Amino acid sequence: MSVQFYLFLLINGLSLGMLLFIIASGLTLVFGVLRVINFAHGSLYMIGAFLAYSLSLLMTGGSLFSFFVMLLVVPPLIAVIGFVLEYTLFRRIYRAEHLLQLLLTYALVLILDDLVRLVWGGDPRNVTRPEFLAGSVSFFGMALPTYNVFILCIGPAIALGLWLMLYRTRAGNLMRATVSYPDTLGALGVNVSWVMTSTFMLGCWLAGLGGVLMSSFANIDLAIGMEKIIECFAVVVIGGLGSVGGALLGSLIIGVGITWLPVLLASVGVQEASRWALVFPYAMMAVVLIVRPWGLFGKPER
Amino acid sequence: MADHVLQIEKLSKSFEGSQVFNNISFAVDQGELSSIIGPNGAGKTTLFNLMTGYHVPDSGRVVFMGKDIAGRQPYDIVRLGIARAFQRTNIFPRMSVLENLVSTVITKNRGNLNVVTPSAKLKSAHERSYEILESVGLADVAHRQSGTLAHGNQKRLDIAVALALEPQLLLLDEPTAGMSPEERWQTVELVQQLWENLKITMLFIEHDMDIVFKISQKVRVLCYRTLLAEGTPEEISSNEQVIEAYLGEEV
Amino acid sequence: MMVNARNSEASSGTARWLVGAVVVVALFALPFILSQLGRTGEYWIWVTTEMLIMALFAMSLNLILGYGGMVSFGHAAFFGVGAYTVALLMKKAGAPLVLALALAPVTAAIAAAVIGWFCVRLIGLYFAILTLAFGQLLYMVVFQWYTFTGGDDGIHGIPKPEILTPIAYYLLCLVLFLICFLVMRMIMNSSFGLTIRTIRENMERAKFIGVNVRRFQWYNFILAGAFAGLAGGLLCELNRFAQTEFLHWSKSAEPILASLVGGMYSLVGPAIGSAVLIFLKIIVQQAHPSLVETWAIFLGLILLVVVLFAPGGLVGLYQRLTGKSET
Repeated sequence: MSVQFYLFLLINGLSLGMLLFIIASGLTLVFGVLRVINFAHGSLYMIGAFLAYSLSLLMTGGSLFSFFVMLLVVPPLIAVIGFVLEYTLFRRIYRAEHLLQLLLTYALVLILDDLVRLVWGGDPRNVTRPEFLAGSVSFFGMALPTYNVFILCIGPAIALGLWLMLYRTRAGNLMRATVSYPDTLGALGVNVSWVMTSTFMLGCWLAGLGGVLMSSFANIDLAIGMEKIIECFAVVVIGGLGSVGGALLGSLIIGVGITWLPVLLASVGVQEASRWALVFPYAMMAVVLIVRPWGLFGKPER
Repeated sequence: MADHVLQIEKLSKSFEGSQVFNNISFAVDQGELSSIIGPNGAGKTTLFNLMTGYHVPDSGRVVFMGKDIAGRQPYDIVRLGIARAFQRTNIFPRMSVLENLVSTVITKNRGNLNVVTPSAKLKSAHERSYEILESVGLADVAHRQSGTLAHGNQKRLDIAVALALEPQLLLLDEPTAGMSPEERWQTVELVQQLWENLKITMLFIEHDMDIVFKISQKVRVLCYRTLLAEGTPEEISSNEQVIEAYLGEEV
Repeated sequence: MMVNARNSEASSGTARWLVGAVVVVALFALPFILSQLGRTGEYWIWVTTEMLIMALFAMSLNLILGYGGMVSFGHAAFFGVGAYTVALLMKKAGAPLVLALALAPVTAAIAAAVIGWFCVRLIGLYFAILTLAFGQLLYMVVFQWYTFTGGDDGIHGIPKPEILTPIAYYLLCLVLFLICFLVMRMIMNSSFGLTIRTIRENMERAKFIGVNVRRFQWYNFILAGAFAGLAGGLLCELNRFAQTEFLHWSKSAEPILASLVGGMYSLVGPAIGSAVLIFLKIIVQQAHPSLVETWAIFLGLILLVVVLFAPGGLVGLYQRLTGKSET
């Protein structure tokens, strides 16, 4: 196969990775500040995708206007849901054992996923891409889907935005300080629980954004929440729990790996290559945890 | 040389680039009751951590009874005969006082793999546990949940757990930390009594100079990443370097 | 005072034996009573058999979860290995049920030994995630390996010995359940069990009393895997099929939920929790057809309530009500 073909796959893999990053960065931010791994992150992302679908039905499909409305309305809506969850549930368990925290978020998965099914049903859905993103661009003789290129641009913009926010604003400084010295910060008069709530909302906003972008990227159904949360776990573990930079690297590794592996495996004669490639995130996760449990970008805890 | 229980040879350790010790050497004699003092952050607890396998030294040796134990696993070092009690109480909080001891005695006798006999029916382990609890004055509260004991008693239990390991060398990290003055002197008496009865080597870290000078045969001063001085209480209290570097501040 | 304490201990011990004996007799009598009820009775015999099996599964997890303090999200892997062992041995090799059931815990223990060897190197959240990763890896392998495991079709039509009526199978499961219960009780009351508890209570201190923590966590992990394998084998024969769902991580969540609802710090807690959850599920689903789809919401709400208000589970509630402290 030609170099061009692999390049094509690489670019598709990178755009998938960027999409993953948008979602996973939310998960890792929330873990970094709240020390809770939120299983329900995938469900919130799924709700975002379905909300985008419902909104698109209300407007002219495929118009630029409706796409912008989705981008502007849905992520904040998910952030509001996040606010409610954080305010009523999460803050009760910050000091509880890991197990109780995980189970609380798992309970939310059970509830939210079933609610999505009650509201939207089990059929796969899709959202029409806005016209100017629907076609393809030619690039070195390849026809790349414009939408993928678009996501490839959005991803780094989000990464840059997060970096600026974390390292160049007071809010970001507070978030980073909360990671290291939650008690000291409280003693200094900082409203730590407000920092936590905001971080959680930001994480949910990112999940919602990922959902909107995904709804025009591929079909959405009831399985996407579970599927993405596991991929996000892999991303976050590979990059290091709580590290946004690590999440970026992890997302790209997983995105490119998922896209490339089936082709690679098929080219060496493996049957059912696309299905075996699904093993990749888990295998990566296991290997990283065994060799370097704190992730590629994280720091060992002791 | 044979009467040294422990020799620290040219030990160095740093964490994330900042050096805690540089080239420390000293030896602990058989049967000695000695102390380590030094300002906060001088690395006293780190030294214990290096001796017991919690940290691995960057270079140098920790020789215990003729064997280099630096970098060995904590459980391995315990079996060789070094036990420690901790600065912050370190017990099994949701188990009874007696169970704390029984599990230690079982481990000491390498009986952990017994999956048949109920641990509550191991008579000799219970007798031994009571014996130790009596020696530290905790026999009355044997059936209490250990996490509910008063702080002073939890520290005693921590020492009792270390004693149950029948160590050659017992390391006590601030045995009187967080105690009232009255409790302090009771604990000091206990330590001295145990040392006299059991004839083991003890090394303790302590902040209270009165205690240090009262019961130690030898005092070592850790300061500025090195062993600043070593000697009898009289020698140390008249050592000008020590007074300048450390005691001077307090007087 | 001490004598009094011992007396009351002894009397509560006798009381406990008495309750236990009554429960055991009732469990033995149950299928014969149910069989008087015709079709519904048959259904309930099936349900109670499943309850016994899932209770065994939950208890097996609790060896590492409640006693060992290790949160595993991959315990279904061993349940599934046990189930597939029985399925493959009986369907493909024509082995008798007894042999297949005897080998299920062995293969599961081997799988647990391999996976556990890596996992016990990590603690806390990292341990949990690695068990999840390994569990899902195994799930994927079973899912993809059509020629051996039948992939997502699973393995159906596992032979059933002639003499094994539903009642007989219930009794077989009950006897095995009781044996496993007694063995687990013995192990957890032994020196080994005490060692496992010291590790849960304070891992650092356990190292400093001379416990090779990783080694004992590993043994315990294998032990839990073996019991889970037996449970998987029993469920496989009950359903007469093995499917990939048995290894999926949502299956790993079931015994965790059961342990939480029942109470983690006792041996029977997870078994009770498991039975209660299965019972509730059936009640909810039979109450109204539209509720069949919403069981997960109920389960989620139950879980929320337990996490927020009763982290000690049912056994914890009982102990709080009767004023007994946990040990």
